[in-house]
Amino acid sequence: MNTVERIAAIPAEPRISRASEDFARHIKARNRRVRLRRFIRGATGVVLILLAWQVMSQLLDLQLLLPEPSTVLRNVVSTLSVSDPHWLYGPNIYVHLWHSFLRAMAGFVSAAVIAIPLGLALGRIGWLREFLMPAIQGVYPIPGIAWIPLAILWFGLGDAAVVFVVFATVFFPLLFNAEAGARQISPTVLDAGRCFGARGVTFFLRVVLPATVPYIITGLRIGLGGAWRMIVAGEMLASQDGIGYLLMESRFQFRAVDLMTAMILVAIVGYATEKLIVGTIEKRTIEKWEVVSS
Amino acid sequence: MKRRSVLALPAFAALSGLPLRRAAAADTIKVGMLKPNIVTVIYWIAVKTGAFTKNGLDVVEYPVPSGQTAAGIEQLLRNGINFYLGASGEVAHANSRYLEAGKPLPIALIEGGLQAGSFFVMKNELKGKSLDELRQMPLRIGLSNPSSFHLIMFRAFLHTKNLTTNDFKWQFLTIGGPEMLPAMVSHQLDGFMHDALTTTLALRANAGFEFMNSNRGDFGPEAKLVPGTGVCGNMEFMKAHSDVTRRFAQALRDASASYAAGPKENMVAIMAEWSRQDPAVIEAMYPRFDPSVGLTAAAADAWWDILGRAMLARGEVAQTMAVNDVFDLDYVQRKS
Repeated sequence: MNTVERIAAIPAEPRISRASEDFARHIKARNRRVRLRRFIRGATGVVLILLAWQVMSQLLDLQLLLPEPSTVLRNVVSTLSVSDPHWLYGPNIYVHLWHSFLRAMAGFVSAAVIAIPLGLALGRIGWLREFLMPAIQGVYPIPGIAWIPLAILWFGLGDAAVVFVVFATVFFPLLFNAEAGARQISPTVLDAGRCFGARGVTFFLRVVLPATVPYIITGLRIGLGGAWRMIVAGEMLASQDGIGYLLMESRFQFRAVDLMTAMILVAIVGYATEKLIVGTIEKRTIEKWEVVSS
Repeated sequence: MKRRSVLALPAFAALSGLPLRRAAAADTIKVGMLKPNIVTVIYWIAVKTGAFTKNGLDVVEYPVPSGQTAAGIEQLLRNGINFYLGASGEVAHANSRYLEAGKPLPIALIEGGLQAGSFFVMKNELKGKSLDELRQMPLRIGLSNPSSFHLIMFRAFLHTKNLTTNDFKWQFLTIGGPEMLPAMVSHQLDGFMHDALTTTLALRANAGFEFMNSNRGDFGPEAKLVPGTGVCGNMEFMKAHSDVTRRFAQALRDASASYAAGPKENMVAIMAEWSRQDPAVIEAMYPRFDPSVGLTAAAADAWWDILGRAMLARGEVAQTMAVNDVFDLDYVQRKS
C-alpha cells in the first residue's frame, strides 16, 4: 500500500463529524430539558395560583366577589361555545371580540404607520428632532384615557372615538422606540452602508431600518398591549359592543364570573395577537436580517 | 369667662328651643346618592328642611357620580354605606346573584319615589312617526348606563307588545346625562331615555320632543305607579338598626311633606342647588317631576310587574326571584 492508498484508506473526518453530531444532540437535549423545566416551573406557578385562588374563594366564601377558577373556566367554555342560555350581552362573544379586534387593530396600525417612520426620522434628523421632540414629549404624559372625552367630542360616540383613543395610546411607545433605535445605530454600521453606496431611501431601508428593528419590535409589543388595555377603557365609555362593553354590562349585572370571563378572554386574545402579529413581524425582520438585539 | 359661656349654653338652648338632648344622641348614618342628579333631590330637601335632624340622624354624605349607579350598590353591598338613593333595578340584579348562590339577600329597596319619572326624548325630525316606523330606522339612543331604569321601563313596555329591543335597528349608547343634550344637538344621538331634568333641558333647547313620558302613561297605565327614585339599604345594618332605618325613611317622607307644603320658590332654589341648574330650568321642570317618596305595596307590586318581569324574561335575575326579594316594606307606612 503506497502512501496515497494509505491516506485514502483513512476514514474521512469521522471523528470530527461524530463529535459535532454529539455536540448538536447534546445541545438539542439540553434545550429540550430547559424548555421542559421552564414549562414545568411555569405550569406549577399557574397551578399554585389557581389552587390558592380556589381555596381562598371557598374558605373566605367569596364566590360572588371572586368566583372560583373552576366556575370561571366553565363560564369561559360556555361563553366560547355560545351555549350560555342566559347570555345578556347582545351578540355572541365572537362578535364582541371581532369588533374589539378591529378597533384595536385600526388604532394600532394607523399609529404604527405614522409613529414608526416619524420616530426613525426623528432619530436620524437632528434639526427635526429639535423642532418636534419638545412638543411630543409635552403631549406624551397625557394618559390615553384622558383623551376619551375629547375623542367623543371630536368624533362622536362610536368606533372612531375608540380607535382614536387607541391611536393616542399606541403612538408614543412606537415613536419613542423607533426614535431611540434610530439614534443608537453604530456610526460604523452607517459608514459601512455609505461605503457600499447606500443613499437616500435605500440607505434608510437597507441600513437604518434593519438596525432599528429590535427597538421597533419592542415598541410594537408595548403598543399592542396598550391597544388592548385602551380598547377596553374606550369601549366602556363610547361603544355598544366589544369586550369593554361586555365588561361594563356585566359589572352592572353584578356578575363577577362574567367580568372575569371577559378579562380572561381579553388576555387570551391579547396574547394571541401579540404572538401572531409581533411574532410574525419579528420572524420576518430580525431573523431574516439576522439582527442581534443590543 | 369660659365658665360663664358653659353655663350660658343650656340657658340659650332652653330659650331658643334647640333639641339639645336629641342632637347629642343623633345616630350617624352613611348615605350614598347619585350626585348631581335630580332623582335624588329628596335627600337634599331633607337636609335643607332639617328632616334628618328632626329624626335624630346625623348624615355623612357619599356622593356617587351619575351613570355610576353600580358603584353605589357595590359600596352598599360592602356596608361602606348604610343607605343609597338612586338605584332600583340594580338592587334586583345584585340580590339575584346572592339568591342564585343560596346566600342571604344583602340589600333591599325600602322607599321609593311617587313617580316613575321616565322620559324618552326624540329629535324633532322624527316627530309624527309611529313606533313601528321608528324601529326600522337605525337610530342612536342615549342611556346613562347599560342597566338604565329607563331602558328597563322601555323593555317592559315592549314586552307588553311582544317586542324586544332586538326587534329594533337602534343602537343604545352609554352616555352621561349631562352629555345627552350636547350629543343630541351635535347629531350624535337621535334620542335619549333619561329623567325629567335632561328632558326639560332638551325641550327648552328645542332639540327634541317628548316621545314617551311615564307620567302620561305612555309606558303603560301601571308604569305610572312605578317608583322612579329607589332608596335602598344594607340588610345587615337595617336589621341591627331598625329604629334608625325607620327614622331615615320617615325623614325622607317628612321631606316629601315639606316639598308639598313648602313655597315653590324655596323648593326650586333647593332643587337648583342640588342639580346645579338654573332655577328657570327647574321651574320649567316642575310640572314634569315630583321628588316625593311614599312607597306603597301597590307601587312595589307595580315595579315588580313591570320591571321585575322584564328582567325575568331576559334572564337578568333568577327565575325564583319575587317582589319580596327586592323590597322590604317594613320600614314604610303601608298605604295600600
